[in-house]
Amino acid sequence: MANYTLEINNNSYSVDVTPDTPLLWVLRDVLKLYGTKYGCGIAQCGACTVHINGLPMRSCSIPIEKVNGQSIRTIEGLSDTADHPVQLAWEEVDVPQCGYCQSGQIMSAVALLERNPNPSDEEINRAMKGNICRCGTYARIRSAIKTAAKNMES
Amino acid sequence: MKINRRDFLKVSGKVGGGLMISLSLPMYGKIGETTKEGVEIPFNKFISIDPNGEITIMLTKHEMGQGTGTSIPTIIADELDADWNKVKIKQIEYSPDYTWHEMGTTGGSGSISRTWDAVRNAGATAKQLLVQAASQRWNVDAVAMEVSNSFITNLVTGEKLEYGELAEAASKLPVPEEVILKTHEEYVYIGKPIKNRITKEVVSGQSRYGLDMDMPDLVYASIEKCPIYKGKLKSYDDSEARQIEGVLDIFPIGFSDEIKSSLNPTLGYVNEGVVIVAKSTWIAFKARKALIVEWDGLENGARSIESLNADMRALKDAPEHLTMDLGNIGPSFSSTQNETMSMEYDNPYQAHALMEPLNATADYREDKCEIWVGTQDAEQTIGEVAKAMEISTDKVIVHNLKSGGSFGRRYHADTSIEAAFVSRKMQKPVKVIWTREDEVRNDHFQPYLKNYLRAAISPENEVVAIENKAMATVEYVTWTEKWEHYYAFPNIRCHRSMVPTVLHEGAWRSVGEHSAALSKECFIDELALKLNKDPLDYRMELLSREVDWGDPKDFPDWAVDFMIPRKKLLRERQVEVLSYAKKHGLWNKTTEPGKGIGFAMANFGPTVCAEIAEVSMDEEFGFKVDKVTAIVHCGMVINPHIGKGQIEGSIIWALSAVKYGGMEVENGKVQRSNFHDNKVLRMDELPEIEVIFIESQERPCGLGEPGTPPLAPAVLNAIYDASGLRVRKIPVLEEDLNTFFNSVAMT
Ligand code: FES
Ligand code: FES
Repeated sequence: MANYTLEINNNSYSVDVTPDTPLLWVLRDVLKLYGTKYGCGIAQCGACTVHINGLPMRSCSIPIEKVNGQSIRTIEGLSDTADHPVQLAWEEVDVPQCGYCQSGQIMSAVALLERNPNPSDEEINRAMKGNICRCGTYARIRSAIKTAAKNMES
Repeated sequence: MKINRRDFLKVSGKVGGGLMISLSLPMYGKIGETTKEGVEIPFNKFISIDPNGEITIMLTKHEMGQGTGTSIPTIIADELDADWNKVKIKQIEYSPDYTWHEMGTTGGSGSISRTWDAVRNAGATAKQLLVQAASQRWNVDAVAMEVSNSFITNLVTGEKLEYGELAEAASKLPVPEEVILKTHEEYVYIGKPIKNRITKEVVSGQSRYGLDMDMPDLVYASIEKCPIYKGKLKSYDDSEARQIEGVLDIFPIGFSDEIKSSLNPTLGYVNEGVVIVAKSTWIAFKARKALIVEWDGLENGARSIESLNADMRALKDAPEHLTMDLGNIGPSFSSTQNETMSMEYDNPYQAHALMEPLNATADYREDKCEIWVGTQDAEQTIGEVAKAMEISTDKVIVHNLKSGGSFGRRYHADTSIEAAFVSRKMQKPVKVIWTREDEVRNDHFQPYLKNYLRAAISPENEVVAIENKAMATVEYVTWTEKWEHYYAFPNIRCHRSMVPTVLHEGAWRSVGEHSAALSKECFIDELALKLNKDPLDYRMELLSREVDWGDPKDFPDWAVDFMIPRKKLLRERQVEVLSYAKKHGLWNKTTEPGKGIGFAMANFGPTVCAEIAEVSMDEEFGFKVDKVTAIVHCGMVINPHIGKGQIEGSIIWALSAVKYGGMEVENGKVQRSNFHDNKVLRMDELPEIEVIFIESQERPCGLGEPGTPPLAPAVLNAIYDASGLRVRKIPVLEEDLNTFFNSVAMT
């Protein structure tokens, strides 16, 4: 066991876990931030996507020792009242079916729009194909990303 | 409906004031019981209205992404004329007091159609009581009032009362003798694209699923499971695993033969294995890797997909059960005048790959077992857990949580039994978590079905006989081996043979209809082209023939009352859907090289869905589906937004199976493990999807599954149209299409 300090959603946490513990399981089992989901554990599905220093990363595949002291953002940190433009666009289009994959989808979409405010279909596909939705909400995800891009522009 | 309303409706006051509507429909009986006259049906609760006007609608069905958690409450709110913004939806605990239709199973795309009568009655009754209360308060007749959006207006004086202000008074009134349900024109929410109620908590990351369960003292368990169906744990060495910090206990899981024989072989089957209990999920996962386990695969340990296929082929000429015999196919096939066309279609096992891996949390102490799980069937879960733990069912409590997808997999009680077993041993609350690898390897797969189809074609270019030999791996899809009676031929014979399965099986979105539709809809397409007919015209021709339904006196009552009307309805809907496609020019053959179009049609329950697939041959990917148009007849559409999402999702689900489905098995072991080798469709492979609902005011039918079965045959038929290659199985692999690209390269 070892002590790590994490900057999550602008709060500082200190946790005592083994160095190989993936960030995902620290978020969920230790810090009880259940918005970040487990889907595959091998960086294949995107359900566990969080931002580390602003970049979308698969928290299931990052050992805690690699993120000590770095700035982490999870779905809970996007906004206080679910009013981030991407969250609002998700509501406007009403994307979710079961909803399980959607935290990861939203985190990938936010990261995409932060570096590319007006992505083409092709660019959306490239950024989002790491996020699986077994319910098949892809068309609505794409449309919500475009809605968010439009709303953020104006 | 002839029922005494006083017997099934109950109105009561709420603690703290307000109105509670309880309702029970006696003709459906209690869960697990058939209706008996004179049996007392307990009352249950659907709606409560607080004095502040807040309306709570109880959700009796499981929400797993199909949207009934929104759609059913909108039906109630509509009949109640409630302000949708004042409606709260509450998932309620399993209770045996609800009838099977009201609660029971969530599945078979039947939640709305089964609750339709009950929930409309509940809503309308509540409204009528409120109106009566207002009528007393103002001393005016109900006709002099207007009801809308949770308000009742006195048309004489212009006064207005909110439902909350009337709830208390309404709760003291007797149940009305008769309620009037709305007509189609009067609906305010039904038929509108109402948004899903779970969206807000999903987008804020607050939505909680089984896997997010937490409570004080919770410990985490993960089970190294036998990789072979029905295999046994031989021995294990946990010395290394025990050294891992945070591991709390390690022990085997298994049940005596006596208990096993009491469990339902499908729903209650639990893999033998070694349980790791740890302080966190990650430690439990990690410790599993340090175990050394030996399994005894028994009979299945030597089997594979190849051996399963050999078992099926061996039965081809010795079919076991005759399941349908119309006319006499013998002379048609023996006549030298007639030509015979025979084909083999292969529908392999399919995995679920649910987004939320399986799990359950249990707290088993002092012979009371509390379980938190997302389940499609809480009642069966309680029954199976009780048998496995050898306690009575009243000692088992199931809290049904939202699921991250289910598609048939969460009917099964395996995770709940595991959690109960581990918690009893630990005397602590335990969350059992399956890894993605467990979820793939120990899935309960869509059964394997192989069809040998044969047609006799007369010199007049008519199909005079059809024969279907189905080789199936489970009992519960056996009815799909029948040539369903929609396409009429003078002579039809169907057989079924059963081969023991090598993998555990279960329900998978659209169950046997998926496999049956692939074989039939491809064969019909092949026949049409063989006869030089357009595939749609040929289907229409077959559907417009008179069908011999047999002599009703040979049928049991339920068949006369239910089956024959159902079949007639399905034929009508199929004709409507086909006509729509033709009339609206959706069926456009293309002559562009490497492009093709394919059609297929199927039903799931009373819903009929046709799909037109447009594909392009693509050197890099083999084939690409450019567009799918779905034409759906499901009666009235309760929520076109959610309904469209279900059809889109079904198409994507089925397309995953066409591209990546099936399952390799060697020595009884599933050969895939996670999303890298058990692939599913991703966003960059998404075709354009158009969904058309046929306008209808008929009783609403399901939408969760009907979009799935026609997709595979539509795509296979389109691939033929584009390439001249007939692929008679899924998944479609690169090697199946090689000859096309080779021949293109040569020309
Ligand atoms: S859980 Fe991390 S990518 Fe799937
Ligand atoms: S909404 Fe269910 S997996 Fe994406």
